[in-house]
Amino acid sequence: MTPTAFVATALLMGAFVLAGGGYGSLYSVGRLQGRPRLIRMGAVCLVVALGFAAAIVVATPLAVGWKILIGVSAAGYAAIPPLVWRYLEQLHSGGRAMR
Amino acid sequence: MYRSQRLSLRYYTAAITLFGVMILFGLLSALYYVFPSMLFEVLNFSTSKILHIDTLVIWLLMAFLGAVYWYLPQELEHEVVGIRLAEATFWVFCAVVAVVAVVFLVVQIGDSTAFTLWFINQGRKYVEAPRWASIGVVVVMGVFAYNVVATCVKARRMTGVTWVLVLDLIPLLAVYMDAFPADENMSRDLYWWWWLVHMWVESTWEVLIGCIMAMVLMDVMGTSRRIVETWLYIEVMLVLGAGILGLGHHYFWIGTPEYWLSIGGFFSALEPLPLLGMVVHAVYDAGEHRLRTVNRPAFFWITTEAFLNFIGAGVWGFMMTLPQINLFSHGTQWTVSHGHFAFYGAYVCGVIAVFYVAKQKTSGVACLDDRFWKWGYGLLNIGMVGMVMGLLLAGITQAFYGRAIGGSTLMAFTQVSENPWFLSGIWARLLFGIVFAAGYVALVYDLLRKPRSNAVGAGEIAGAAT
Amino acid sequence: MDTISVGPPRAGVGGDLADPRFWAAGAISTTIVMLIVLAFLTVDSLSVITAGGRNVPAYDVINRHIGYEFNWARHRDVPVIGGLEPLFGQTVTEAEAAALMEKGKLVIQSRACMDCHTFFGNGAYYAPDLTKSWLDPAWENIWMPMTGKATREAAMVEFLMHPDQYPTWNRRMPNLHLTEEEARATVAYLKWVSSVDTNGFPANFRTTKPDHAKQP
Repeated sequence: MTPTAFVATALLMGAFVLAGGGYGSLYSVGRLQGRPRLIRMGAVCLVVALGFAAAIVVATPLAVGWKILIGVSAAGYAAIPPLVWRYLEQLHSGGRAMR
Repeated sequence: MYRSQRLSLRYYTAAITLFGVMILFGLLSALYYVFPSMLFEVLNFSTSKILHIDTLVIWLLMAFLGAVYWYLPQELEHEVVGIRLAEATFWVFCAVVAVVAVVFLVVQIGDSTAFTLWFINQGRKYVEAPRWASIGVVVVMGVFAYNVVATCVKARRMTGVTWVLVLDLIPLLAVYMDAFPADENMSRDLYWWWWLVHMWVESTWEVLIGCIMAMVLMDVMGTSRRIVETWLYIEVMLVLGAGILGLGHHYFWIGTPEYWLSIGGFFSALEPLPLLGMVVHAVYDAGEHRLRTVNRPAFFWITTEAFLNFIGAGVWGFMMTLPQINLFSHGTQWTVSHGHFAFYGAYVCGVIAVFYVAKQKTSGVACLDDRFWKWGYGLLNIGMVGMVMGLLLAGITQAFYGRAIGGSTLMAFTQVSENPWFLSGIWARLLFGIVFAAGYVALVYDLLRKPRSNAVGAGEIAGAAT
Repeated sequence: MDTISVGPPRAGVGGDLADPRFWAAGAISTTIVMLIVLAFLTVDSLSVITAGGRNVPAYDVINRHIGYEFNWARHRDVPVIGGLEPLFGQTVTEAEAAALMEKGKLVIQSRACMDCHTFFGNGAYYAPDLTKSWLDPAWENIWMPMTGKATREAAMVEFLMHPDQYPTWNRRMPNLHLTEEEARATVAYLKWVSSVDTNGFPANFRTTKPDHAKQP
């Protein structure tokens, strides 16, 4: 890996996870406060995260196995916030029913 | 108030004091980078560094012990069994720490004999404390384990949280035994050393603070036990499921087989995903309980923990965890940046929340929210983020010029250490370190001062909480 | 959404996701599986990293020439063990080499070397990494002329015993009061460490011998 490609790859990886986290945060705050605008901003973050993932897959000299892993975890970043949110709602409503 | 909770306040006091000592030697260590000939052959960088990282381990451990001594009787509705022994070992613990600190400052190093390892310095990072002192720590943790188990037995009661806690005592004691060996084979030495640093300080502690946070959530936010325990199990499953083989990312370059590159890279690349779930959970909890919290500082620190853990361990870790990247980033200030951020996010924020819980309970106010806590909160967080950004800049510069281009020779190392990018990162770290230290002062001041009883807030909260 | 958790836990493939017992069982089984895998990997790794194993040469490797070259098959730098090149001109037996390693490691621990330096990138990052320090061109280019010694190992011993007399740059190494015996053991240790196969860490390291330069 060339020195420039190395730094670019590392920064892309960090930006990818950061954007994924931005989606998770904005999505959950949006759901909490019932503000669809925040959820839309979260969706923008997700698109950005997926863009970074695509850039890592297309443009970096990482080995193929790692690129597949990046693709899979990109799906994870997209899926986790709504899934966890739904699970939490179920858990808490169940809790109330049982209390 | 249980007697064990008074012991816990003593542990907190010791922990906060050592937190200050850690910051002091952190600042000193940062100063060597910009004034390299400072205190040359009087107090060398290595000694300052040892005091910085060893107090880190000890103050967090003390805070954890304190938190368990605080919550255990509350959880089991029974005074801790063997409390006098626990009180005695607290003073043993303090004495051991004090003697070791004096020996480090005055004697520093010794001859290449077993005597040095037993009485002066073991020279293994994080566990430099001589063997006699490590035995002291084992005794303290042994008594602690006895307290926990005996109390559970005597109270004839086990909750989900105490089960996790009791099981976690096994690695807490067993893996620490790793603090003793002096293997002449550096590869094998580091193989086991990483069990201490990763399996003990990271995985075992992570479960321990998970238990503590579960009890804090029930206490401060009134979350139901079923929900808290469900989350604790999920957290343990994810932390250990990804973390045990995540150990592999420390086995890339120490002589271990090539398969660790794949295993370590795979498991540690997955690590941010559960942390993302924790962020969503923290936001959900914030919404669920905001109106009912009786302790705003604790609440803010808990929520912050989820976010900074995601960024510090997740983002910073992911950036450098794949072997092709780590080959260049490993062992630079980049690692330092990640280490600071991850420790702060994973442990320090949670421990500060625990301090605030104790403050509220001891002062007896119904609602703890008198603005000044925000100074400590703001300065500590700004200081930490600034430090890790500075270190990241320095680390990227080192990895780029010193490693990828320069090839890691002495010349490459010295040249990059005078690179303006590197130096600006190092300066930024020092300046934000001072901000962090100011935050520490504000935190201590706020913890010690008498809280104003906030009539309006208290009434509001009391109405909501009951 | 409301169908869950009211009443007894449902029977199902994955159990009831809101039932704590399901996750407790998950946590215990995941941990046990991972620990078992780790146990197997540990047994295998220890056989590879014990001196004389696949990646970590026996201690008497210090009698031989050690290089560090790019291996095109493995796509990374690997140590290359060459012909005889005894340290300090004296061939040592396996037992003597082991004694030197024990002494060298004790020096490294008793002087807290890793609280400034790093080995395999682990340590304190304030001073250079020592993984391949035996192969560093600075010994020939800087310290041999500076100390007036004819060999790399003699220059290393001189430097280790009096680092304060040979300042190189603004971060200086303090005098850690090594005896000559300790310094020689440390040099032997550094030579052995450089023979460990570290999966190519550090990369692009330029060794003392220019003829080992990489192929295009």
